[in-house]
Amino acid sequence: MTDHIVAQAQKILPNIPLSVVSQGAEALVFQTGTHPYCSEESLIHLSNASTFIIKYRPPKPYRHPKIDKQITKSRTIAEAKFMSKLSKLSIPSPDLISIDSINGVIWMGYKGKPLANGEISSLKNWLWWLEKQDDSASLCVSDVVEKVFLNIGALIAKLHLNEMIHGDLTSSNILLEENHDGVFEAVLIDFGLSSYSGLPEDKAVDLYVLERAVLSTHSVHSEIYNEWLLKGYNDMHLSKEFKSKQGSKKLVETIKRLEDVRLRGRKRSMLG
Amino acid sequence: MTVDLDQYAKPGKSYYLALGLEGSANKIGVGVIKHNLGQLSSTNSAEVLSNVRDTYVTPPGEGFLPRDTARHHRNWVVRIIKDALKVAKVSGSDLDCICFTQGPGMGAPLQSVVIAARTLSQLWDLPLVGVNHCIGHIEMGREITGAQNPVVLYVSGGNTQVIAYSRQRYRIFGETLDIAIGNCLDRFARTLKIPNIPFPGYNIEQMAKKGKHLVPLPYTVKGMDLSMSGILAHIDQLAKQMFSGKKPPVDEETGEPITAEDLCFSLQETLYSMLVEITERAMAHVQSNQVLIVGGVGSNLRLQEMMQLMVQDRKGGSIHATDERFCIDNGIMIAHAGLLSYRTGQTNELWNTVCTQRYRTDEVFVKWRDD
Ligand SMILES: Nc1ncnc2c1ncn2[C@@H]1O[C@H](COP(=O)(O)OP(=O)(O)OP(=O)(O)O)[C@@H](O)[C@H]1O
Ligand SMILES: [Mg+2]
Repeated sequence: MTDHIVAQAQKILPNIPLSVVSQGAEALVFQTGTHPYCSEESLIHLSNASTFIIKYRPPKPYRHPKIDKQITKSRTIAEAKFMSKLSKLSIPSPDLISIDSINGVIWMGYKGKPLANGEISSLKNWLWWLEKQDDSASLCVSDVVEKVFLNIGALIAKLHLNEMIHGDLTSSNILLEENHDGVFEAVLIDFGLSSYSGLPEDKAVDLYVLERAVLSTHSVHSEIYNEWLLKGYNDMHLSKEFKSKQGSKKLVETIKRLEDVRLRGRKRSMLG
Repeated sequence: MTVDLDQYAKPGKSYYLALGLEGSANKIGVGVIKHNLGQLSSTNSAEVLSNVRDTYVTPPGEGFLPRDTARHHRNWVVRIIKDALKVAKVSGSDLDCICFTQGPGMGAPLQSVVIAARTLSQLWDLPLVGVNHCIGHIEMGREITGAQNPVVLYVSGGNTQVIAYSRQRYRIFGETLDIAIGNCLDRFARTLKIPNIPFPGYNIEQMAKKGKHLVPLPYTVKGMDLSMSGILAHIDQLAKQMFSGKKPPVDEETGEPITAEDLCFSLQETLYSMLVEITERAMAHVQSNQVLIVGGVGSNLRLQEMMQLMVQDRKGGSIHATDERFCIDNGIMIAHAGLLSYRTGQTNELWNTVCTQRYRTDEVFVKWRDD
């Protein structure tokens, strides 16, 4: 029943070939070979630039039109801004190509590479794929997986140390890309709920949301995964780059708050 | 592979009967359920023999306090049990087990009902089965609607969770970071002094139908979680301004004054949008296209309608909801979930029947499923 949404997108993007990559929660994500403003000839000289991603946030019929317009516009703008900030900080994320906030369209660079089973190389799909392999017990907690989680923890720390909050950290919103040495590198995507804050509370909730997503989605090894995430997060705060910038003080504040947030979750009154 | 549910069947008996007692909030409910031997399926479904309930109703502007609610339950429990058995046409000796809500919920009301359960268990020499209230809602919802493996939105006075099954547990993917949806609605109803009959959420829904202007409220989705206390504080403030006449709020576009109906309308539109959104987020995340709505707030037709609109736009999407007999707290769901537990050999010794106010959905080992 998504055909009519594809048709809507096609109307906004006439003559652009679109193929559906995923129907996320909010957005329909397409792949296309067309660049919005560079000619085909000029693209030949760019590496890795034959495929682009178009993220389209269609109107949601369940929402009041006033709420809907406001959300689509603000999230599209928030996402584009966040992406451009990330690229300035060299935090791996798709390159922003163009944005149409009224129609809820963002054009960006393609990231990741399909897994052996043809699925998108999100952290979620990769871990699920590992779970299905014969030697899954060892594969799921291998050094490679550990490195990936440490790397993700470090990326989130970098965001937070720059007072940036992702707002929707899940294993679907982290893509994996193989770099030149064959090492997996994490790429962050999906910044519609992003915000800017230096408050320990906001950072703690950001971490808590991911911790819970790992627990529910990858429950078998969630404990060690979350441990690695936090280790990567810690290490980045204490690294040379951030130590002089009050990294350790900020770390203590955020982790203390994280403990509060967890407790709130467990102790929340369930009274009517 | 499916779990053998008949290892503990009584020789020579082709069915099971369970009594369920629920009293975790302001309703006391008792029900009798019947399962025939074999797997539950569309051709061998559970049979509701009786489902009796009474609600403790408080005056407008007042919530229900634990002590008074417990007193209400104590006053009614014997009558309601007798009623449920009479309607079901069964007696104590026909039963296989006594199921009771072990939590989560309000301490005093839970305790007043478990005492009845323990007494019956001693009187009739039947095993006790403690049931997690949320699991009761989920299993009853699955049974009634036939939804096999849905994403569950559980919305009630005390709970707001988005749940999906994986590896023998109902896992919580999203939930409120502060207050529950029903609690938020009830508290706003108290601010407006809306009657509590039949229940506050229903009256807000009726008033919302007459609302015209949408007042902008905070929209606080955090990943698959959400927060509602800020919205409540904001709209409470607007209501106060409206009542006091000092700086009464007006509609941005028309300049017309904002009414109580407008506030109900705006609150519903905002909160339910958030609920539908986090449900859709969980569906995309676990790659499911079925939704099941359970819990008291699930009886809200606007919420159901919005969920329907969301699901229509998802490939192969379907929505399942139950009516107020099953989505408002009741005894039959406790009987049903308890009986599933009983059929896999899980019962509670007397010492192990203490109720707990906090009892998370993902603490329960779902022994009766292994898909
Ligand atoms: N730049 C990209 N390169 C490759 N794949 C992408 C890219 N962006 C998104 N995808 C794929 O599309 C899926 C959905 O994208 P995204 O998370 O941005 O949308 P969404 O989840 O619908 O958004 P939201 O969470 O805001 O509702 C991702 O999980 C990923 O598989
Ligand atoms: Mg996403």
